[in-house]
Amino acid sequence: MIRFFGHILTSVGSKVLVALSGLALAGFVVFHMLGNLQLFEGPEALNTYAAFLRDMPILLWTARVGLLGIAGLHIGLAVRLAVLNRRARPVGYAVREYRRASLSSRTMAVTGSLLLLFILFHLLHLTAGWVDTSFPDRLDLRGHRDVFGKVVHAFQNPLFVAVYLAGQAVLGLHLSHALSSSLQTLGVEHPLLDRLFRGAGPLVAVLVVVGNAAIILAVAFGLVRA
Amino acid sequence: MKFILNIWRQKGPAEKGRFVTYEAQDVSPDMSFLEMLDVVNQQLTLKGEEPVAFEYDCREGICGSCSLVINGMPHGPERGITACQLYMRRFSDGATITIEPWRARAFPIIKDLVVDRGALDRVMQAGGYISVHTGGAVDGNVLLIGKDRAEIAMDAASCIGCGACVAACKNASAMLFVAAKVSHLASLPQGEPERSRRAKAMVAAMDREGFGTCGNQYECEAVCPKSISVRFIAMLNREFLKATVAEPGPQAERPSDPHAESH
Repeated sequence: MIRFFGHILTSVGSKVLVALSGLALAGFVVFHMLGNLQLFEGPEALNTYAAFLRDMPILLWTARVGLLGIAGLHIGLAVRLAVLNRRARPVGYAVREYRRASLSSRTMAVTGSLLLLFILFHLLHLTAGWVDTSFPDRLDLRGHRDVFGKVVHAFQNPLFVAVYLAGQAVLGLHLSHALSSSLQTLGVEHPLLDRLFRGAGPLVAVLVVVGNAAIILAVAFGLVRA
Repeated sequence: MKFILNIWRQKGPAEKGRFVTYEAQDVSPDMSFLEMLDVVNQQLTLKGEEPVAFEYDCREGICGSCSLVINGMPHGPERGITACQLYMRRFSDGATITIEPWRARAFPIIKDLVVDRGALDRVMQAGGYISVHTGGAVDGNVLLIGKDRAEIAMDAASCIGCGACVAACKNASAMLFVAAKVSHLASLPQGEPERSRRAKAMVAAMDREGFGTCGNQYECEAVCPKSISVRFIAMLNREFLKATVAEPGPQAERPSDPHAESH
């Protein structure tokens, strides 16, 4: 066990754990987006889906605690690595020119921090319901919690639309470097498939952002109504 | 040609450095960047000023001594070459050129543009070699190596250890250097017996020297004078993971310094 922790404390060991936890979180984000797309099927589908997720308290809380733990590990190790990286160059360059580094790769710490704030806001808003108390928790005709109504109510407010779209931009930037970078850190490399691996990050990022933004915009523009 | 040079001057490791502006007159477009600096130094010497200290040796792009960050890019604006292979015709007449040393905690500045790259040597001492009993030379073609393997090993082995990867990296990480060394030996049968120990020991040595960690931005590949691919970084990660999972073994201990007598 001591040996195991010894390897985690190395730079590569920490990076591997950041990559694995990041992939798990990205996986959640993808399924979260796919599940929420049921909004387009109408109130019944989304509310039944939400009830299905909530109906299994063991699974729900395992997922919640698991995600919290994974996110904690991801953030903790990333902060530790960022501190090491800052220390590695005490005096910076007067002139700096980048050739390869993408905007997304250069802003991982910033987008990561903003993403954390956005996730906290999102949880307080739609999960805990503390941000916006103007929509009462109510049941739909089948006796499920009216998640559909809550979402529609939220995105009829331009302020929430702006915050959530900004959140999507940040999420997209973070994901587009994160996924391909994780594969590299885990040693996934192939002379022919490398292009696929490098493109995977931006591709998934675009899919997630488009899916999520579609929900927000559809409600904002009144295409989906309560 | 005429240039305005902003050069980092620093008297010693503990001194505070600053940029000093010089004018380079009568520069031929066919001069290499180092020859241009020679001319500037000549003029400084004639004026009784201290010449600018910079490192060089072979001046043909194979030794890895030159270490100048030119206008924010290690080895200058051209790709796949060292600073000594850069010619002044690459710059427009009258241009302002900023020249800085490699900047990293692991590369302390000795003087002006000269940095101490001993950290890379110590990483090599930790595992960048194969252990063999010396004796009669091995017959040729005893160990047959496939062409593809030989090519991969050769690509990695083309690293000249200049440290441009560290200088270019946002995090001052030496991953490309270590990756090239580890992949080179791991691709060949001679390096096979020690590959697990090597990967762990070299990564541990890299961390010990205070290099940053890899952010997969691939700036290193873009400035490497030998254009060494970041694929080798993935190979290093794989080597390290394999070494950790398959052969947990003891965490790489601090190796005894083989050159302890000489310093």
